[in-house]
Amino acid sequence: MKVLVAVKRVVDHNVKVRAKADGSDVDLNNVKMAINPFCEIAVEEAVRLKEAGVASEIIAVSVGDKACQEQIRTALALGADRGIQIETEGAVEPLVVAKLLKGVVEKEQPQLVILGKQSIDGDNNQTGQMLGALANMGQGTFASEVKVDGDHVSVTREVDGGLQTVKLKLPAIVTTDLRLNEPRYASLPNIMKAKKKQLDVYTPADLGVEITSHLTQLRVEPPAERQAGIKVESVAQLVDKLKNEAKVI
Amino acid sequence: MSELAVSELSPELVASLEAIVGKDRVLSDADSKAHYGGDWTRVYRPAPCAVVLPGSIEQVQEVVRLAARENLAVVPSGGRTGLSAGAVAYRGELVIALDRLNSISDFNPVERSVRCGAGVITEQLQNFAQEQGLFYPVDFASAGSSQIGGNISTNAGGIKVIRHGMTRDWVAGLKLVTGTGELLDLNRGLMKNNAGYDLRQLVIGAEGTLGIVVEATMRLARPPQDPVVLVLGTPDMASVMEVLEVYQKRMDLQAFEFFSELALQKVVEHQGLQRPFESPTEFYALLEFEQRSEADMELAMELFEHCVEQGWVIDGVISQSVAQAESLWRLREDISETIARWTPYKNDISTTVSKVPAFLAEVESVVNGAYPDFEIVWFGHIGDGNVHLNVLKPDALPKAEFQQRCGEVSRWVFEIVQRYGGSVSAEHGVGLLKKDYLHYSRSALEVDLMRQIKRAFDPAGIMNPGKIFDL
Ligand SMILES: Cc1cc2nc3c(=O)[nH]c(=O)nc-3n(C[C@H](O)[C@H](O)[C@H](O)COP(=O)(O)OP(=O)(O)OC[C@H]3O[C@@H](n4cnc5c(N)ncnc54)[C@H](O)[C@@H]3O)c2cc1C
Repeated sequence: MKVLVAVKRVVDHNVKVRAKADGSDVDLNNVKMAINPFCEIAVEEAVRLKEAGVASEIIAVSVGDKACQEQIRTALALGADRGIQIETEGAVEPLVVAKLLKGVVEKEQPQLVILGKQSIDGDNNQTGQMLGALANMGQGTFASEVKVDGDHVSVTREVDGGLQTVKLKLPAIVTTDLRLNEPRYASLPNIMKAKKKQLDVYTPADLGVEITSHLTQLRVEPPAERQAGIKVESVAQLVDKLKNEAKVI
Repeated sequence: MSELAVSELSPELVASLEAIVGKDRVLSDADSKAHYGGDWTRVYRPAPCAVVLPGSIEQVQEVVRLAARENLAVVPSGGRTGLSAGAVAYRGELVIALDRLNSISDFNPVERSVRCGAGVITEQLQNFAQEQGLFYPVDFASAGSSQIGGNISTNAGGIKVIRHGMTRDWVAGLKLVTGTGELLDLNRGLMKNNAGYDLRQLVIGAEGTLGIVVEATMRLARPPQDPVVLVLGTPDMASVMEVLEVYQKRMDLQAFEFFSELALQKVVEHQGLQRPFESPTEFYALLEFEQRSEADMELAMELFEHCVEQGWVIDGVISQSVAQAESLWRLREDISETIARWTPYKNDISTTVSKVPAFLAEVESVVNGAYPDFEIVWFGHIGDGNVHLNVLKPDALPKAEFQQRCGEVSRWVFEIVQRYGGSVSAEHGVGLLKKDYLHYSRSALEVDLMRQIKRAFDPAGIMNPGKIFDL
């Protein structure tokens, strides 16, 4: 079974981002970039399926400029077999990414596509669902457990009220939640082997997709700064402040 | 020294102390005594007569003057994370806790320096530096509790020494209240000051025996760019040193730490962390370097390949994100806390880096021969020639018997330290725990000079008496 995994290059989640002075965007100058944590979980899940003998080949795909090859190489080091970069410039919105991925799905015919439930930069939580609709495949989103059984996959989903299990006919789409697995570290020998693995570069035109934008970013600004707290001397003072200053009781 | 100690303060003395620091700032309940009278060690039972929490330099001076007049021994107390019982008040001393002197002020971007009260928490200074786009490079697992005054008094080292040195290298100036209650303003932040002896340097690492550090001007560094962490598995200790040599020759390392398989097992099991890679190896080296360009990464890889070809490294991982770098660091940094439940017998020994392989081979054979039935956890700042050797107490063995057996073997270990010209305390200080072993590292003449220096700063001998050496 062939598995396609999507990975995105994003700002490292431990980095405190700043808005550019002119408010046009987040300042990405000299900022540490990494693989989106949910995508990392997606790669790990695919690798586990391969180790369990369920998956036969893992293809890691990323949409972005040349720099995103770094994250594809990370996926290859973690255990993906080959990589595909779809060369784009600037920000691309979820619908475009979904269309591009659909192009790859048509070319590669994977039985399973695993994506992160969202990426931590845009927080859109749309790409997996849009791809499901475009490619006409069933989807199991927010997965905390994935079990492949013959030509079906059971996906346990983290929903508001608890857990829900859905059974999908393959080929299908899975998007990962945090609890699905704990990704391994990339081993140095595997990082070196990954350098020799195949990495194809496609243009959107190769996949028959025209990049159009439906969104305009108006402004990026930092959240309002939190005011420093104070220590109150007594319960009476606390109640007084809550009543008369904060006016919450 | 016993004439200095009291177990209860007279009501008059309590009243005088309260008059200086305020009524709520003199504590003598059992909980406060146990809390403020001890440190991270669990060998001596804290038994101070009382605890005072002064709120200003003047108050510290007045308390010390009072103590000098009354011939009352005092113990300065910082974050109480010390590992040699330096801050333990065990025979009725008065504890002066610096917790309230915790303000940071007078940041100077030109000098890249900032003024800290003695009670500023190490992490508080690290965070302050970060907010200014700078970096305070002294760091270790107890940084969330230890204080700048305590760091200075122990000349704390930690995990970045290989690149940034010890606390000493970051103290631009300090203020000391001597044993007579006088205030010294030492070095005043000067970069160059060859006008006489540098008394500041004597105070750094004095473990509170010369006086109380009340304030310091600390220097800050530029933050590291994109730190990357490697954890490498090695077949033996000699290989760890080969790896160090190979990497240090070609790269500026930020850190080079090591730990043993048993240390890793304990941390993984008790902290719920992930092993770096599946196959266990005898020892692990943790390296951190700054990735300023692609070339740094390529070089790190090339050196890794070389080490594998030579058989010095079996497997390895590299952080792909800041989160992974932090998780890998926890494998090393969480060791102390993890093994604390086995009340380990700790040795913090060092020699010059080039002598480490032969030195360690000898120490290892003595220790393995002496403790066939004990669990031994090795880790430390091996890039600085510093190892922490921890012997874990088997649950069934009574504490006293365990301490005694370890004490005997320590002598053999320290004889090796002595032959190699090493130190019986690389960075944790001497306090009470290493006092009997000081002579393995310091000549009688040296210790005698130390005594004379102490008398000059503290004629009444009230400042942390009985620590490091007896008068
Ligand atoms: C988990 C863990 C990891 C550690 N790792 C390291 C490490 O990597 N490197 C390292 O060097 N140490 C390490 N330590 C030891 C310890 O944290 C350091 O020695 C630290 O500098 C102690 O600071 P403190 O404020 O807690 O001092 P305390 O323990 O309160 O006191 C230490 C000594 O300094 C004296 N003192 C404290 N404050 C003052 C003052 N204002 N004026 C005069 N004397 C004073 C005390 O009397 C005592 O003798 C570690 C400890 C723990 C628990």
